Amino acid sequence: MRINTWYVSSFLTSLIVAIPIVTVFSSFFEDTTNYFEILKNTFLYEYIFNSLTLLVGVLILTLIIGVGCAYLVSFYDFKGAKFFKWALILSFAVPAYIYAYSLTAFFENYGTLYSILKTIFGDGNYNKQIPKFDGMIGAILSISFSLFGYVYVLTRASFHHQSQNLIELGQNLGFTRQKSFFSIILPSARPAIVAGLALVAMETLSDFGSVSFFGISTLTTGIYDSWISFDDLAFANQLSFYLLIFIFALFYIENISRKKAQYHTPLKGGIKIKKKIKLKGIFSFAAFFICAIVFFVSFAFPVLQMLYWSIIFPKNFIDLNISQLFFNTVVLVFLTSAILLFFSFLSNYGNRVTRSKFLKLLSTFSITGYAIPGVILAVAFITFIAWFDNTIIKFFGLVSIKKIFIGSIIGLVIVYFIRFYSLAFNGIKSGYEKINKSIDESSYLLGYSKVKTFIGIHVPYLRNSVFLIGILISIEVIKELPITLILRPFNFETFATTAYIFASQDLLEAAAVPSLFLILIASSFILTTSRYILKG
Amino acid sequence: MKRLTIISLIFSLIYSVAFASEVNVFSARHYDSDIQLYEKFTSKTGIKVNIVSGKSKALEKRIIEEGSDSKADLYITADAGRCGAFKAKGMLQGGLTSDVIKLTVPKNFRTSQWVGIAKRARIVYFAPERVSGAELVGLTYESLADPKWKGRLVIRKSNNIYNQSLVASLVKNNGKKATAEWAKGVVSNMARTPKGNDRAQILAVAAGEADIAVANTYYLALMLSGKKGAEQQEAAKKVKPFFPNQDGRGTHMNISCAGLVKGAPNKANAISLVEFLLSKEAQEHIVNNTFEYPMIEGVSPHPLVVNMGLDFKQDLKTKVVNYGKKQAIALEVMLAAGWK
Repeated sequence: MRINTWYVSSFLTSLIVAIPIVTVFSSFFEDTTNYFEILKNTFLYEYIFNSLTLLVGVLILTLIIGVGCAYLVSFYDFKGAKFFKWALILSFAVPAYIYAYSLTAFFENYGTLYSILKTIFGDGNYNKQIPKFDGMIGAILSISFSLFGYVYVLTRASFHHQSQNLIELGQNLGFTRQKSFFSIILPSARPAIVAGLALVAMETLSDFGSVSFFGISTLTTGIYDSWISFDDLAFANQLSFYLLIFIFALFYIENISRKKAQYHTPLKGGIKIKKKIKLKGIFSFAAFFICAIVFFVSFAFPVLQMLYWSIIFPKNFIDLNISQLFFNTVVLVFLTSAILLFFSFLSNYGNRVTRSKFLKLLSTFSITGYAIPGVILAVAFITFIAWFDNTIIKFFGLVSIKKIFIGSIIGLVIVYFIRFYSLAFNGIKSGYEKINKSIDESSYLLGYSKVKTFIGIHVPYLRNSVFLIGILISIEVIKELPITLILRPFNFETFATTAYIFASQDLLEAAAVPSLFLILIASSFILTTSRYILKG
Repeated sequence: MKRLTIISLIFSLIYSVAFASEVNVFSARHYDSDIQLYEKFTSKTGIKVNIVSGKSKALEKRIIEEGSDSKADLYITADAGRCGAFKAKGMLQGGLTSDVIKLTVPKNFRTSQWVGIAKRARIVYFAPERVSGAELVGLTYESLADPKWKGRLVIRKSNNIYNQSLVASLVKNNGKKATAEWAKGVVSNMARTPKGNDRAQILAVAAGEADIAVANTYYLALMLSGKKGAEQQEAAKKVKPFFPNQDGRGTHMNISCAGLVKGAPNKANAISLVEFLLSKEAQEHIVNNTFEYPMIEGVSPHPLVVNMGLDFKQDLKTKVVNYGKKQAIALEVMLAAGWK
């Protein structure tokens, strides 16, 4: 049999991405400690309860904020509507853990709000009147405001494509605006909303930075603790099992809703450009006010808090080696996006030319890396490498590979690869679906080889998709925390790890400068691509 | 594009290439001032200090999994319990037995595998407006379970290592059963469900949410120094420190410690780094930046720490190795008492 290069490379990519899942499940039968046997069930219920509470809270908030804002900017014309359309996606630049730092800094006893009140009203004990957003409430708020963008972007794209006919239908039926919204507009955007919420849900379940900052035990932190602190792999796996069930259910829902979403792409010819309703007076102000509040709370608030600290504690600014951090971040971003794009191109093209059902199935399986929390991926990767080294490499008497993969840029990039492969693969895939297969065939007829077709036709065709995916991966890598923290080499920090390390040492004000830079870099990336993101 | 990839690859390789003379430190202490200290060491000896920082348990896990291939030479963390637990896993080795170490560090704060480099005390803070001197007379950690403190006490979560070490010392001194009862009493005295770090406990007392708090010594000094801003400085002035168990074994002491990792590729360099950290110059640098107590004689703490009072009785009876040994029991009794 002739060895098919496309087949082999797609197969290998899928294999690498499958490492963590295999590791999590293969250690099911290892020894466990019995120390917490009695307390385990209590733990288990607490973790599940906390994860569920967090999930429900975040879903409700992101649904209301995301859909509400998308509705306003899609259907109405009011002052600032054009600005908010793209400004609201800037919230993607603020990771939940940095939001958590800002929230704490602002509302804590003798925090920033206290300073403001004291400056305005003079001395007084304001601490008791200031609400405290910590614990579960703090985590729900932090995660919601950093993730509602998913719901916003997808819902807005769906509203954008909704035909005017549908809206006119409502008017012809004599529906009030409210009734049109609930019985026509909302149901037809449902697949997009569900897809957005499923993404939010997956990110919420895998959140580590903000829940550990607020000290909430969720399934994810529970897995981490039982793995790292108690060396109790069995319990870690039991928890992983529950988490994976949760996540696969979400994955499934997201997949179904994405399929459904294809049905409502408007047919050619039947679409009328939607007329936006012009708001006046108090209504215009109300719409402006709502969007302004969301923009302020989700983006301006954390930026201002970090800016305030950077200004009043300038020493932290001087002490930080910003160019080094910038360089490290750029190296990671560049390597990761280049490798991810290369391999997801390869797999997609492999799928396209071989048309193998088995390969398709494999690549569906391999994109699950996104569903597993980064912190679990990192630990699973270390465990896997150690196992591989101790058994297989030792067996053949080869030189240890641990140094190559643990605590090195290579290891770090591999785990990023596993984590974000789904993002890259699906992005390229959706671009590919728009290239008609007959183009490939014409190219072959003209005597082009497969490689030449790939380089000469597909790559230029997909330039926009590649650009967008590259930027999205970059934003994710810039914000990434747990994988970097666990696997980075000596003397290697990024903006994210620097911020986290200061924060964990109770030096939140020193975390401000790296946080601010992280947000600024991510924002500039978002702004360059906002046009593409808004297209959905 | 291609050229950039190559350049960044080369740079990333440089990171992993070993220096001729170096020492690799896994540190759970993330003070900037520590880094300045390492730089001083390098300029003195020519030995480069490489650092990976992170949370203690994640660092330990990485060293364990790297096994005999680990590059780690020294493991530095801010709690004796963690050094003890790491030693119990067989991950440290003997060798910290030089004269410099033996002569400068009291026996209570070292073993041959790890040694204390700075001290801190875990003490009680109170609001003088609401807590009378009479109430504090003879206050012990044990008496924090006294019903008179009902609804007046704040302390952090049970998963916090400082609490685990404190409770481990109680287990060592009073036994598991008595400590389990004590933990129940403490939980019923709490003014709120545990949350926040040590500084947040002190702030809660300053803001009137509680009357007494348990926290480490350096936090108050840090707030008083103004490094956390004017408001925190003002808040810190509203609370006073109290050193418990003065009539008995003394106040609970903990240490920042450095452990010599098993299979350390640069063992000799690691030992000289520890010796440097115990020098007068390094100790002065540490106490003035982190507000800890010095490990060696002849160095004065930061003036703000001096103001909190120096003539208190330290618990030198309970060996700090017990914090690691009794850690699991400590966590168990706290969780059983419903200590969140």
